[in-house]
Amino acid sequence: MKKVITIICLLIAFFIIYFLQANFFTWFTIAGVKPNLFIVLVLFMGLFAGKKIGAVLGLIFGFYLDLVIGRTIGISGIMLGIIGLLGEYFDKNFSKDSRFTIMLMVMGSTILYEFATYMFNVFRLDMTLEIYSFIKILMIEVVYNLIVVIIIYPLFQKAGYAIENTFKTKNVLTRYF
Amino acid sequence: MNKSKKKGIVGIILTIIILILLVIVTNTDIAKVSYVENIVSTLVMPVQNGLTYLKNKIEGNNSFFENVDALKAENDELKKKNSELEQTLREYEIVKSENDTLKEYVNLKDKYKQYKTIPAYVINKDVGNYSNTVVINVGEKDGIKENMTVIAQEGLVGHVISTTESTAKVQTIVDTATAVTGTISTTKDAIIIQGTLESDKILNATYIPTDASILQGDSVETSGIGGIYPKGIHIGTIKEIINTNNIIDRYATVETAVDFSKLATVLVILNTN
Repeated sequence: MKKVITIICLLIAFFIIYFLQANFFTWFTIAGVKPNLFIVLVLFMGLFAGKKIGAVLGLIFGFYLDLVIGRTIGISGIMLGIIGLLGEYFDKNFSKDSRFTIMLMVMGSTILYEFATYMFNVFRLDMTLEIYSFIKILMIEVVYNLIVVIIIYPLFQKAGYAIENTFKTKNVLTRYF
Repeated sequence: MNKSKKKGIVGIILTIIILILLVIVTNTDIAKVSYVENIVSTLVMPVQNGLTYLKNKIEGNNSFFENVDALKAENDELKKKNSELEQTLREYEIVKSENDTLKEYVNLKDKYKQYKTIPAYVINKDVGNYSNTVVINVGEKDGIKENMTVIAQEGLVGHVISTTESTAKVQTIVDTATAVTGTISTTKDAIIIQGTLESDKILNATYIPTDASILQGDSVETSGIGGIYPKGIHIGTIKEIINTNNIIDRYATVETAVDFSKLATVLVILNTN
């Protein structure tokens, strides 16, 4: 039951972020560049709720985005799914208690996601490759994502551990029963 | 513990302030803050003038400079005359082409009237930085089909790429994956116009014919080639011409007539005939 409520909460969080991205962040930009909070959300799910939840919800969110606003179907879903998986990998190898490591994770995920989706779209849609503009936008986007992470870090931590308790403690306890 | 918590809150507030400042500073138009530039230059200019005068006096080169000044003045006058002549020639060319195009313009206006359009609201904008699609609130039940042209009051917006029962996804002309064939309205030279990542107001015009006389401020409209967009819909104006070593590679930037950041209402053209 608790798990269902948590997943519903994550879905609500996704829609809040979706409306922020499509409305608020279309004008609240740094030099015309929006952040990409979907990456932060999916990474967060992977880190605290595990790779299954991270990857599956990441896939669903990505496909939803592609369907609603994208030009091609699939790549956002696949990349967000991969970031969900990466979350668990990060969790096993790095500490979640440091703001700095979380920032590094967000930076890496943002670069990976945007690079892969952009390259896919360049080949898929036969677009002109604009390396300079792409890197410029990507850098600003990474900085924007990092600023957002700094601001929401306390919430990130609190909500994260609450989610971790619902998803991960049960697995440990079953060993003893 | 309490101290570190306080520190954390202060840090967060500071970051929020920095973010807001960043957003304001990076989005402010330089033209709007020209008064700051004015103030700075009024402060600096007298000093700069005085120093230059002093330097000239000390070097004793006043007479030499007078001569140079005279030549410079003459040169300027000639340049001015030349540009005036060029201007007259251009005006003549414009009047000449106007003669040809005026009738066509009238026809196009009639053609615009002939288009059966349906108004729509933009209900969703793109969430990413690398594409530019919008969703409008009309769909299949209103007769919207793929590849239909979408315009706004100021000019071309884009075309429909997919539809649902009550919504349609529109790929705008500033999206990097679109290319529109356009013509320069005065000279009728054909160009290819593509969206750029750089800005959602600027398009790149490439494949400019080598003999084309293209000038800043020229109006660009759709050519009707390609089958999606009907002929004669205003796209924007030439903002800058970038010349390269090879004339074949030269390109121009086009400022869109439509302000995509404020796009709210559009018209979908239902019939192009």
